[in-house]
Amino acid sequence: MAQRDARFNQTVLVDTTPMPDHIPKVEEVGATSAPLMSAAYFIGDRCKAFNDDFMKCKDEANGRGEIDCLKEGRKVTRCAASVIKDINTHCLDQFKAHWECLENNNHQLWECRRAEMQLNNCVFDKLGLKKTIPGTPEGQVPVHLRPKQKYAQYPGPQW
Amino acid sequence: MPQDMPPTGGYAQVQYKRNIPARGFKPAYYMIGMHVIMAYGFYNELAREKMWSRLHLTPLLQAEEDRDQVRRHYADKAREKELLGTDAKVYNSDRFIRPTFAYTPANLTQ
Repeated sequence: MAQRDARFNQTVLVDTTPMPDHIPKVEEVGATSAPLMSAAYFIGDRCKAFNDDFMKCKDEANGRGEIDCLKEGRKVTRCAASVIKDINTHCLDQFKAHWECLENNNHQLWECRRAEMQLNNCVFDKLGLKKTIPGTPEGQVPVHLRPKQKYAQYPGPQW
Repeated sequence: MPQDMPPTGGYAQVQYKRNIPARGFKPAYYMIGMHVIMAYGFYNELAREKMWSRLHLTPLLQAEEDRDQVRRHYADKAREKELLGTDAKVYNSDRFIRPTFAYTPANLTQ
């Protein structure tokens, strides 16, 4: 079985047949890696139920998850798109600053703590979504709240 | 001429063993120590942050990919129907199987 997509680098040959009509349409998120990474924890915060539902469906679908879990998948995509849309309407400047910083720093989150702090505050104020890292040991400051970052190019406090 | 014989009482012992005290710990302890230091180095909360940022995105990316696969799957089935006239099942299985061969359109697309 082909586990990899066919990539044609000579000519652009992509099967563009649209989805059949009996499957409801959904608009894809359409964001690239850096904005998605920047918004990942907010997506995780708002869409956890949908995400878990989708992954559970796939797990229990006995190898037919691709077709059987389309409905759950649409919910996941709509929820994530709603988060991106909300961030874009309310915290566009901070969001842009953060993901552009990520883009320029090899997607290393610890280089962009200042922008991240501003984004987190704005998103929490406007949307009520909070970044929490599951599994952080008790009594430790979560890494994203430490002003000094161990591996950052700038060794001092970032905010 | 009388033959040369060993001295009475035999020759003295030849010192062939090194007689140096072993310095430091047993080698195994250095091995353990190295692994302890490595384990400390690998322990990093930043890794947890990175992993979870990806875990939160995985369902989203998977859903998008699945939809694309299903779209291609239905397109393949429609083409097979048109060419063969029947709904031929290639695999004796209900599972969704990603196609081995990709359909390449005759004309440039996209």
